[in-house]
Amino acid sequence: MAKSNIKKRKASSREEVVHSDSEDDFQTGLLNGAINNEDEESDEENHSSSEDEEADEFPEVAAASDEEEIDSDEVPSSSEEAGEKSGDDDEEEDEKDEEEDAEVDEYGRKTVLDSAGNLRYIYPEVDTGYASDDSDREEMNTIGNIDLSLYDEYPHVGYDINGKKIMRPAKGKALDALLDTIEVPKGWTGMLDKNTGGDLQLTREELEILRKIQMDEVPVDGYDPYTPTIEWFTSKTEIMPLSAAPEPKRRFVPSKHEAKRVMKIVRAIREGRIVPNKPKEPEKPAFYDIWANEVPREDHIMHIPAPKLPPPTHDESYNPPEEYLPTEEEKKEWEENDSEDRAKDYLPRKYNALRLVPGYDKFINERFERCLDLYLAPRVRRNKLNIDPESLLPKLPSPQDLRPFPTTTATIYKGHQGRVRTLNVDPTGVWLATGGDDGTVRVWEILTGREVWKVKLSEDETVNCVKWRPTKESAILAAAVGDDLYFLVPPIFDPETEIESKRLLDHGFGTAANVQQDPTKKTPPGKWSKPMDKLVEQGVPVMVTVKMTIKHIAWHRRGDYVATTSPEGQNRAVAIHMLSKHTSQSPFRKSKGIIQRAEFHPFRPILFVATQRYVRSYDLAKQELIRTLQPGARWISSFDVHSGGDNIIVGSYDKRLLWHDLELSTKPYRTLRYHEKAIRAVKYHQGGLPLFVSASDDGTIQVFHGKVFADMMENPLIVPLKILKGHKVTQALGVLDVDWHPRECWLFSAGADGTARLWN
Amino acid sequence: MARIKKKGTSGNAKNFITRTQAVRKLQISLPDFRRLCIFKGIYPREPRNKKKANKGSTAATTFYYTKDIQYLLHEPVLTKFREHKTFAKKLQKALGRGDYGDAKRLEQFHKPVVTLDHIVKERYPTFTDALRDLDDALSLLFLFANLPTNHNLPTATVANCERLCNEWQHYVIRAKALRKSFLSIKGIYYQAEIQGQDILWLVPYKFAQNVPADVDFRIMHTFVEFYTTLLGFVMFKLYTNEGLVYPPKFDKEADGKGAGLRAFKLENKGIGMVVEGIETEMSKNRKEIREAAKQTKLLQDKISAITEGEDEEVTAALEKPESEAVDGFDSFKPIKSDSAVDVLPQPQISSNTNGDVDPSNLFAPYTFYLSRETPREPLEFLLRSFGCKRIGWDAVLGDGSFTDNELDPSITHQIVDRPPVVGLPPAAVDTVARPGGRVPGRIYIQPQYVWDCINAARLIPTAEYAPGALLPPHLSPWVKVSTGEYDPTAPVAAGEEEEEVESEDEDDHGMTEDLGEEDESMEVEADVSEEEEEESEDEEEAARRQHQKELEAEATGVKLAAEEKKKQKKKKSKAEREAEEQKEMQKIMMTKKKRKLYEKMIYSNKKKEDEAENLRQKRRKLEKSKKAAAA
Repeated sequence: MAKSNIKKRKASSREEVVHSDSEDDFQTGLLNGAINNEDEESDEENHSSSEDEEADEFPEVAAASDEEEIDSDEVPSSSEEAGEKSGDDDEEEDEKDEEEDAEVDEYGRKTVLDSAGNLRYIYPEVDTGYASDDSDREEMNTIGNIDLSLYDEYPHVGYDINGKKIMRPAKGKALDALLDTIEVPKGWTGMLDKNTGGDLQLTREELEILRKIQMDEVPVDGYDPYTPTIEWFTSKTEIMPLSAAPEPKRRFVPSKHEAKRVMKIVRAIREGRIVPNKPKEPEKPAFYDIWANEVPREDHIMHIPAPKLPPPTHDESYNPPEEYLPTEEEKKEWEENDSEDRAKDYLPRKYNALRLVPGYDKFINERFERCLDLYLAPRVRRNKLNIDPESLLPKLPSPQDLRPFPTTTATIYKGHQGRVRTLNVDPTGVWLATGGDDGTVRVWEILTGREVWKVKLSEDETVNCVKWRPTKESAILAAAVGDDLYFLVPPIFDPETEIESKRLLDHGFGTAANVQQDPTKKTPPGKWSKPMDKLVEQGVPVMVTVKMTIKHIAWHRRGDYVATTSPEGQNRAVAIHMLSKHTSQSPFRKSKGIIQRAEFHPFRPILFVATQRYVRSYDLAKQELIRTLQPGARWISSFDVHSGGDNIIVGSYDKRLLWHDLELSTKPYRTLRYHEKAIRAVKYHQGGLPLFVSASDDGTIQVFHGKVFADMMENPLIVPLKILKGHKVTQALGVLDVDWHPRECWLFSAGADGTARLWN
Repeated sequence: MARIKKKGTSGNAKNFITRTQAVRKLQISLPDFRRLCIFKGIYPREPRNKKKANKGSTAATTFYYTKDIQYLLHEPVLTKFREHKTFAKKLQKALGRGDYGDAKRLEQFHKPVVTLDHIVKERYPTFTDALRDLDDALSLLFLFANLPTNHNLPTATVANCERLCNEWQHYVIRAKALRKSFLSIKGIYYQAEIQGQDILWLVPYKFAQNVPADVDFRIMHTFVEFYTTLLGFVMFKLYTNEGLVYPPKFDKEADGKGAGLRAFKLENKGIGMVVEGIETEMSKNRKEIREAAKQTKLLQDKISAITEGEDEEVTAALEKPESEAVDGFDSFKPIKSDSAVDVLPQPQISSNTNGDVDPSNLFAPYTFYLSRETPREPLEFLLRSFGCKRIGWDAVLGDGSFTDNELDPSITHQIVDRPPVVGLPPAAVDTVARPGGRVPGRIYIQPQYVWDCINAARLIPTAEYAPGALLPPHLSPWVKVSTGEYDPTAPVAAGEEEEEVESEDEDDHGMTEDLGEEDESMEVEADVSEEEEEESEDEEEAARRQHQKELEAEATGVKLAAEEKKKQKKKKSKAEREAEEQKEMQKIMMTKKKRKLYEKMIYSNKKKEDEAENLRQKRRKLEKSKKAAAA
């Protein structure tokens, strides 16, 4: 095929030569307008178009006679086309000659010698088999779609495919221009041909096509859109039919076969074999022994049979015992309730005789409800516990076996105006110090309940905390009133103790004065000073002023350090005051939440600090965080450390008491919720008894037995022992503070009702 | 490593589908789905985890078990539904075209019929299963048998229900399966025991039922459709097991006359097909009666020998009404006595010897007569179930009675439910035949007697059930009294009564007392030692004080006793309070879950106790007022 194509092509190229000068096809050439100027080339063009026309009749030739192919055959390296300059013609000629010289071998390729003298094969163009689109035939300028004005200052207008410059056509002189204006040349459009840089000229035919397109007409000549239709196939019966076959007999003679079949049915009906419209016989009898060979169903968990309705009770009787009849109130309640809320769907009635019983008006409704239940109500298996509820209660040792623990009020300490905020028992266990909303600190004799001493520290501010110094040789009471921390020496002890206490307190004055105030350093959190003379006389030798309200005081066990907590004070919330040197310092650089309370470890240099949510323990020697406990309470109100140092109880405003075993986890070992209101204070017995208490705003104090075992493996035992009730709730506040006697099983509580109580 | 399980491919997510999904899957309409569910007994489920079953949503939805729905896909009834849909279209088309002949033909021969046989077998694989589920079926069918027909409720359905109910009753009578019955304000409960299964059903009183508007009868119809099929098969099995032919012969004529149960004729299965109609039964009965009469005649002769004077009076009284009856009701022939004197079997004698009567033949030796104001159907059913063969009733109550002559001498018991006519002598000779009159020698009882006898499984003394008498309370036979619950038959503890009254007063004081106590304790407990001393004194003094108080009380009245009790109560309550506190504290140590459970149990127990206590209190009050009225 390829061979023949080539031959054809050859033939056509020869034809080209033959027809080169023939002008006969000139009219029909569509494209010759564009190449009007170059006659030689246009010849080729014309010829090719003529070939196109021939193609209609000889498609094979047409495929081969594509112009481009011819070009490439002739000029493999470059195409010489209409846009070529005449200057190239010579070269072209040479090449042509060269190529013509080249032989065509058996493969259809040409062999040429290149400049180096080597053989070079020139393969024939591959015939794609279809007439190539020649739309881009004239795309000789390779500059692309850019403005030609950029080439204004150059002699050329672009480059052809071979990289050769396309020179600007010579512009006519002014005279030519003038002539042009006078005489519009044939096919003048006024547009610039981008490929050549010259004028774009269109032939008349081309213009005609453009016009037709513009006018929405069919651009092809000789197309008639209004040709009359020819009805080839119609329903019209012809006078002379196409087929002359006669009508078959079967068209008008009834079917014999059909008649046979009908007769068969007719006969059957006549003989009664077929009864028309006979009702269908049931295949099976209506009822039969359906359970003839029954196989029980295996029990399946998803098969839940419908529960039966409960049998009627006495009160449904038409003549029930009279006690089943509802009273007026019950009747009214029943009638007022919605039908869903009623415990029973009927009211018991009593009729003296059966004849008096009326029909039940909701009978259909009840049956309907049952039907609905059967198909609409979801069925669930529920296990019903049929046990004594008492068996659910945990087995705890009886409180009687865990005595002693406080049970009753022994003494009431009355005297405070307003609430008693705080109380503390002195280390000897003889005196009780209380502080209240009236700004006074009072000291009571525990056994008699007598008020032995009192001092008014402030007119308008409350005493938030009182704490005895935990050593026995001195009798110093620390009291926090507003921003001030007072150290009191109540004049109720023997003179030696009093003198010793005063000496301890005054000792620091000198040292504090000696300390040079370093201007670069921050000011210490507390300012030590002597209070007013009147107070000094009353037994208040020293005071420390902290800028924030102090809420809590904690003594170090040796009695030299006092930690105060003022929740407002952010990073300076905790301040540690040194008694011997009259200095104060705040141990924390930044705050980690609102600090509620700080306590010292009973025997290690550890400080526990409770924020609203967490309790952190810090090593004071190494100055680092040891552990963060997460009680899970929302707002811790108080906490206390067990005398063993390994357990902490935390009370919170959200009614929870949490027991933390420090060895166990950072989460609580036990969370107990039993108070109805916020827990205000929690306290371990520090004198060796396994007791602890919690005091709440609901006015109750809960006493627990809380035993910590020496064995690490055994969990602490917690047993609730007693609920102490006695304090009255005033203005939603109940018991505000509790404290244990240092040795005995005596409990002291401070109430919002203005009393403090001793329980034993 | 095990493969990671994909979410939503197992467990709750896969086991349950919502109703919408089910309907989509089956490609049927919602009403069709409902019908299918009712037929197949498919019910919604409650998944343990709703969120997982419903793709994370917790919205309220109905869930079905996926496998239930999957099985439905191959249900023959479902295809029938589809067939019916196409049939309906064809019919509609024919009617629309006005092609009534075609429509009729379609309706007659091409209407798909849903059969539920396979579903019955599938739902109740064994006969016992079917019996277990009969409660609702019977209750609903008995209701439908008593409903008025209308365009929604075709006569055929009602008739079918009635027929099934009657067949059921026949079987229960025949098998002597009835155990208990109860007259409630809703209707009459019956309980039968068949093959060890207790079947409880409720029959409404014979009144026109008011049909409420908010009841969807389509649902009820679907249920009835299934239940009739079920009951048909159950009945077939029961009858064949009993050796009877099912269905029994139904006498339309007798039914038209109101024969009720007697419209059916039970046939024994076998070659001869012996008709065991009621007629034969009756003739047999007659013979028995005659023999009994002969025996009693002998007895009577003996008695008459003793008391001759009385005898004449009695015979006169007996004979007179008989002759009247013959005149009045010719249709019934009274027993023709060979001898001159026809004597009643003495009910007194038989009731004396009823100690070892078989409960299923409780009423066998007696002849009952139902006055026209009594409900015939339940009484007939009950009496027959418990062995009574001879039941007569007023002609007004329908056909098929043993006798409709009120004065029939064979009658031993007459059930009457009318108020006594004041000023009428009980046995005046002229007024015997009149309503309200008394025939001597028979026992007049109120209907409740029959029920109470059945529930007690013995004949109870009739004295309390005389016409017009205040009846003893009618109690439910199904209530089993467990400890702590209220038992209406047992007497209330008499001792509690006073205390109860007292406690009421106490309750009022309760609050103030508590408050006062606290104030007291402050003062008292401030000095403990004092109190302790006092306590020792107390005991010595107590006796003295007591004596003193008694003396005072004698002077003033009963005051002291009350005061003493009050003190006791207080002491008791203190101990109670301590125990309560103890429990409170134990609760502290419970986990939240257990505490909730405990509190729930306590609450429900308390509710029950309160109810019982309420009843007890009411009863005490009633007894007190009765005593007061009597005194």
